[in-house]
Formats: sequence, structure tokens, C-alpha cells
Amino acid sequence: MSVLTTVAARWRVQAHLDFMWMTKDLRFFLINVVGDVILNLAGVTAVFLLAERFDGIGLWARDQVIFMLGYAALVRGFLDVGFSYNVLHISRRIGRGQLDHLLVQPQPLWMGLLTEGFMPFSGCWSLLTGAGITAWAVVQLGAGFPVQWWLLFGANLLASCAMALAFSFLWGALAFWAPVAAEEMSSRAVGFLYQLKAFPLDGLSAVVLTGMLTVLPVGFVAWYPSRQLLGIAAPHLWHTPLAALLLALVAGIVFKKGMEHYAQTGSQRYIAWGHRG
Amino acid sequence: MPNSLDLGLPVGRTSSAMAGAVDHIRAARRHLKTMTMAAVRSLDDRGWVLAGDFGLRLLRVLLLLSLWRTVLPETGATSGMTRAAVLTYTLIAEAFASQLTLGTGIELALTSGDIANRFLRPAGVFGQFTAEMVGAGLRDLLLFSLPLFCLAPLLGVNPLPAGVGAALLFACSVALALLVAAALDFIFASIMVLLEHSVYAMMKLRTAVSALLSGAVIPLALMPWGIGEVFGYLPFAALASAPLRIYTGTGDALLLLALQAAWVAVLWPLAHLMWSANRERLVTHGG
Amino acid sequence: MHRPDRSVTSPGDIAVELREVDKTFYQRQRSERFRDVLTNLFRPTIREIRALRGVNLAIRRGEIVAYAGPNGAGKSTTVKLLSSVLAPTAGTVRCLGMDPMTERVPYVRRIGVVFGQRTELWWDQPVAASFEWKRVVWEIPRSRYDEMLAFVKDLLGIGEFFHTLARQLSLGQKMRADIALMLLHEPEILFLDEPTIGLDVLAKRNILDFINTLNRERGVTVMLTSHDMDELEQLAGRIVLIDRGRIAYDGDFVELRRRFGDRRHLTIDTGTADPPTLAGVRSTGSDGNRHRYTFDAARTPITTLLQQASAQTVIHDVETHRSRIDDVIADIYQDWNTEHG
Repeated sequence: MSVLTTVAARWRVQAHLDFMWMTKDLRFFLINVVGDVILNLAGVTAVFLLAERFDGIGLWARDQVIFMLGYAALVRGFLDVGFSYNVLHISRRIGRGQLDHLLVQPQPLWMGLLTEGFMPFSGCWSLLTGAGITAWAVVQLGAGFPVQWWLLFGANLLASCAMALAFSFLWGALAFWAPVAAEEMSSRAVGFLYQLKAFPLDGLSAVVLTGMLTVLPVGFVAWYPSRQLLGIAAPHLWHTPLAALLLALVAGIVFKKGMEHYAQTGSQRYIAWGHRG
Repeated sequence: MPNSLDLGLPVGRTSSAMAGAVDHIRAARRHLKTMTMAAVRSLDDRGWVLAGDFGLRLLRVLLLLSLWRTVLPETGATSGMTRAAVLTYTLIAEAFASQLTLGTGIELALTSGDIANRFLRPAGVFGQFTAEMVGAGLRDLLLFSLPLFCLAPLLGVNPLPAGVGAALLFACSVALALLVAAALDFIFASIMVLLEHSVYAMMKLRTAVSALLSGAVIPLALMPWGIGEVFGYLPFAALASAPLRIYTGTGDALLLLALQAAWVAVLWPLAHLMWSANRERLVTHGG
Repeated sequence: MHRPDRSVTSPGDIAVELREVDKTFYQRQRSERFRDVLTNLFRPTIREIRALRGVNLAIRRGEIVAYAGPNGAGKSTTVKLLSSVLAPTAGTVRCLGMDPMTERVPYVRRIGVVFGQRTELWWDQPVAASFEWKRVVWEIPRSRYDEMLAFVKDLLGIGEFFHTLARQLSLGQKMRADIALMLLHEPEILFLDEPTIGLDVLAKRNILDFINTLNRERGVTVMLTSHDMDELEQLAGRIVLIDRGRIAYDGDFVELRRRFGDRRHLTIDTGTADPPTLAGVRSTGSDGNRHRYTFDAARTPITTLLQQASAQTVIHDVETHRSRIDDVIADIYQDWNTEHG
């Protein structure tokens, strides 16, 4: 069986589990759907309100801001679909001693992490919210974007998702060394990304901006690719994919170091609740 | 606060005033110990985790400050707020972010089943959670609030309050905000138990909505269409907007404190009512 | 049961081998004083915990081995080393001819692990969903899966709650479901870390019978840890006792009793309330004319005691029985504690 077929088979079984989970009860279903839509909207509302109040923000016109918010919401939606079940919040699994569940499965760790958080039915509501905002912005902008632009849009979107994921794993790896204190580190790091992903960074000083594109790569989640896609800055549309690749590499190295450490220390605590969502 | 709110403080008729006072002191000591434990709890692990957390928060405040510098004119007031006041508001919001967005942790206790243990301790359940919340707030005051406050001049922000009176009233306002936060937590926990579902989804939802409605990210006065005016009368505004407006001198302090006190008066009995009605379900749900 | 490829080893081979295995952990210590906060945060005191010290252990295919020891002795650490979760600090760990750390994926296809206080079941899903998930992730062929499912359903009786959410199962049901789940891929060796913890006597007996059946009929190798020594004696021919990271005993239960003292209880009914004075025994009390003693049968033969007693008084009745293995082990742990001060 090829790797792709194996991954597809794993995704299928996870999709099945997710479907059963979502449809177990009507009230539960509705709470989750409404909750996800409001949550994703709330994440971009603050900036939207500012853009509305001040008719744009700095170099950004109101509709351009809305496009960036849609892009940011889409990133969140994709992560909700692909990396739920505490895969995105990896420090929880490490800190709670739940990584052992993955280690006794006959598959490479990366495959477990890539497939175990696949929740297409419960995650899609947040994704649809992002798609809705983006579609609205594109219509408002009134520009007929060519196919090439959409391809670049897709590639950048994928890179932004990879960036957020790598960032979570990079910070989450702290839990290998400090399982209790860093148990919520991924959530905090991702929380910061989510809170700030929709803010235009143009007014920042060069030093802080560098920080926002490296240590806390908020800029790559929506601002940097959006300003290039919309022509606000020179269109270096390969920057975000390259940055994502580099961060993924760093995160991979740190995570591997963490795993080597884990092989020596293991987990001295185990928390049953919250396991697998 | 009467015992009927399950704070664990002794009430009712005691044999003498002296005995009552002794009981109060003993109850306060129990909660003080819980508070201390909560304050040092997360210090059990590596210091650089806390340092990393501080770095993240610093970056967040830098971003927000730059945003305001972009959209607000250097002189003059926008919706009654000068740029300097908004910058101070933002910095203080971040410095006291932990205290102004505190939760009791009751939702997690419900999820983990830990709630059942709380009933086995010889102290009021509300009191235990509130003491833990205050303990966590004190720890963050030392580790985050004070350092950020000291760094403010380097960020080009005047961190000082509008005046001595504003500082004193701010302290009162934060105390009231904590009480509102705890009451909202207990009410929210009861609703979760009633719904019997989706603890995490609801928690995330509440955090996101409350961050927006409380004015912790954007001052309510700077919101469009006058919706900030409406949000100002919701209980969420008592959590952050009220103390921050008092601190920066951009609101009528007495009116804001009165609103907060009113929310305390309404929400605590409501919390108690819902808690009592749900007590058995709470334990069953948690255990 | 379908037997997976065993070309690496042959029947009768060593299934598990630990050679000179050390495992060291480091534990932070924290001062309670507030003024030590900064030291606690940035320069904490580190304590070295040597969980395993020079452990040598070999388990043959088809054996059931009980692995016991006091709390913190190193039992779970050993199981984690054998489950590819932990790497040894020194020494080598081989199982089924493989290195659990470097050959993790093919290795875990051949073993089954149950941690008594954890569950592999998907918490918010019906039991059946976890089984289907396992089929896909372990890539179990459909026909083998169906056969094994029927087998475990039959023997462990999981059919009655197969469509219940895992979080709604009782402790006993959860353990049965976890064991059934573990067996679906037909592991050659089972590592069971306290598989009966918290279960009632009937549930315990059912689980033990099942493990026995698996071993007897299908030749599955089993290593299990437990604090219930009676349970271990029922099941295992061999017991390995570990104390503070070192193997303190490795052999059968008969030899264990002999080596650590074959303690017996003796009750004598006499015509008088005065207990006979017996050499080499400890009196544990009298109840009217019934007098109770404990003694080490390896040192003091019972015939000698009866001769002494009958020389002093008339004996109406005699009862004797061996100590429960729990008591023997408790005595051993007590001795170890005394030795270590």
C-alpha cells in the first residue's frame, strides 16, 4: 500500500469517527456548528469593526481588510478540519502523557499526527465561515482575478496553514521538557496567532516586524500573503511558502530533539480526560 | 457575602460575636492557603516557559500599540479618547490581562471530574474556586503586570493612571471585576451542565465573545455604529472596560463602579440559584 | 489464531531480553519557601532517580511471567521500555529479536500493551468505532479481523456493550474492551500493566481466565504486573520480583516461598486455656482453648511442633494452612524496607 493510499485510508476512518461524533445528538450538533461559526467570526470581528470605524486601516482599504480577515479565517478553518483532536495543540498530548497512545500504533509518528486530527464534519463550519468572508471580500473588491492568482492564493494559503502548525509544534515541543508548565503552550501560542492573525502589521517598527515574521510569525498567517496578493506590496508570492518550509524544518528539528528527550524521560503523569478530544 | 452563596464563610447566629469572628478568621485562613497554593502552582516547572509566555504577550501589546498609532491621529480626541489615553488603555489591558480575563477554572474541574473533590473539602465550593482565581491573579501581577508596567516608557507609553483617585478607584473596580468574572463563571458552568454537552466548545466560545464584548482588545468607545454604547451595559463590560476607563480617566468612575456593583448584586444571587438547582447534576456531570 | 511471521525467532526462543539495563530519571525538587521562587524557577535542585539498575531478564516464548514489586520499584518503567515508549539509559532491550526503539513500527504490530489506568478506546465514540479504527491503522485484513472480533466477542463478552460509548462503560467493561482491542491484531506477546486494577473479583477472574486461555491454546507470551499476588500466583509459573530497580528474585512461586520462608499458620485445640510453649514459633493469640501460632515450615517441621505440644497437653484438634502469597510478599517488602532503612 502506498503512503498516499494509507493516509487516505486513515483519513477515511477518522472522517467516519468524526461524523458519528457530530451526529450523536441534535443539540450537540447545533451547539458545535453555531459555536464554530461564532468563534471564527469573533476572531476577526475586532479588526473588522476597526476597519469599519476608520474606513480602512492605514494602507488597507476596508474591503482589502475584509479579504485579509477572510484569508485568516480560512487558515483557521483548514486547521480545524485537518488538525483537531489536540494535534494542533500538541503540547497537551505531550504534557498529559497521551503521546504514548500514538507510539504504540504501527505507523510513523508523522502519519499519526497527520491523520488523527482529521475532522471534516465538525471542522468544516469554521472553514465555510472563512470561505464566506473571503468570497464576500472578493466580490466587494470587484477585481476579476486570473487563474494564476487563484493558484498562488491556494499555495500561500497552504503555506500559511503549515506556518501556524509548525509554530504550534515548535512552541508545543517545550512540553517535552516542562510537561506541566507547558501543557497549554501550544494552545497559548496558537491562541496568540489566532488573536493577532487579522491585524495589519504595517505600522510596526522594523525590529518588532522581524519578530512578528520569525519568533511569532503572525505576519505570515494572513497579513504578508494578503498584501502581496492584493498588490499592496511587491508580489513576492514565494516568500510565505519559503518561510513555511524553513519554520517547518526548525520545528521538525526541535520536535525530534524533544522526542529523543521523551525517549529518555517518558511521561511521569497521565491525564485520562481530554484524550482524543 | 452570605454563606448561602457557598463561599464557605460562616453566617447565621453564632453563640457570640467573638465566636463568629473566630469562625470568619478560620474560614479566611483556609481560603488564604488555597490562594497561596494557586499562586505558586504553575511555578513548579521551568522558568523559561513563563519567560516565553511573557515574550508572546509583549509582542501582542507591541502590535496593538502600533495599530492605534496607525489609525488614530497624534493630537485631538476620537470618540472622547486621545491617542495617549488609548495607548495607556491598551498597555494596562495587557498588563492586567490575566486579572481582567480571569476564570475560576470551574469548567475544567467539571470536565476532569475534579469538581467532586471540591465538595469533600471543608470549605465552600464557590470560595475555593474564587480563592484559586485570586491566587492566580496575584502570581500574574508579580510575573507579568509589574514588569510590563515598568517597560511601558520604553514602548513610548505613559503607564500612569489619570490620577491618584483614579488609581484607587481602579483597584476597587478590579476587585468588582473579579467578582463579576467569578459569578459569570459559575453561571456559565451551570448552563454547561444543563446542556450536558460540549464543554470545550462552549469555553472557547465564551472566551472569544467575552474578549470582544469586554473591551479588552478594542475600547468600546472606538467601535462603529455606537454598538460600544450598548456593550457598555452588558456584564462583560464590567470585566475590562470599566476598570480600564477608570484608570485612563475616560469614563465616569462612579457610574462605572455603580454598574459593576449592580452586576455583582444581580449575578451572584443568580449564580447561587442556578448552582443550587444544579448541585446534584454538577457532581454527577463532573464525576 | 493466525500466527504472524515468526521467521525472526523460532518457538522456544527468547521472546524478551533485557541485558544490564539501567534507566535513570531526573526529578526537580522544589522548596516551599516563597523567597526561593527564583531559584526554583531557574536553578532548581535536581534529584537523580535510578528506576532500573543493571536489570537482566529473559522471557521465553509461551511463558507467563508475573512482574511484581512495591510501588516505584520500576515495573511500569520496564513495561514502557518493552513497549517502545522509553529508551534505556544503558544496556540493551530486545524483544522478538527486535530493538523496540529503532524498529518501533514493525515491532508494535507484534505486541499488545494494556496500561490498566489508561484506555486505547476513543472516549466519545461507541466501542465498535474504536475497533474499526484499529482495523484500519493496524492494517488487519478483513477476514482476520472478523475472525478475531468473533473470538474476542465470544470470550470476553463485549457484544453486550459493543455499541455503547466508551465513556459510559463500567471499569470492568472498559478493561474487557481494551483487552479485546489489544488482541485484534493477534500479538505474539502481551505486556499487561495492572490489567485488573480496580476490578471486582468476578471481573478479575474472567480476565485472568481469558489470559490463561490465550496462553494455553495459542501460545501467547504474557508479562503482567500487578499488586495482587494471589492473582499472579494463579496465573504465572514464574515470578520476577523487582525492588528499587534491581531484580531481587526470579523463579517460581514454590521456590519463592522456600527462599523467603514458608510461613504457616497453626491452630491447636487443647483441653486448657494455657497455650503450650513451642520453640521456633510465634504465638498470635488464644481464643478459649484454641491457640494460634505462625512458624516457618522450612526451619521448624510441623511434626516437631506437634510432638512438643502433645508432651505438654492433650490435643483435641489441629489445623494448619499456608500463608497467602500476598502475606509472603508483604513480608518480603517489609524486610526490604527494613534493610534499606
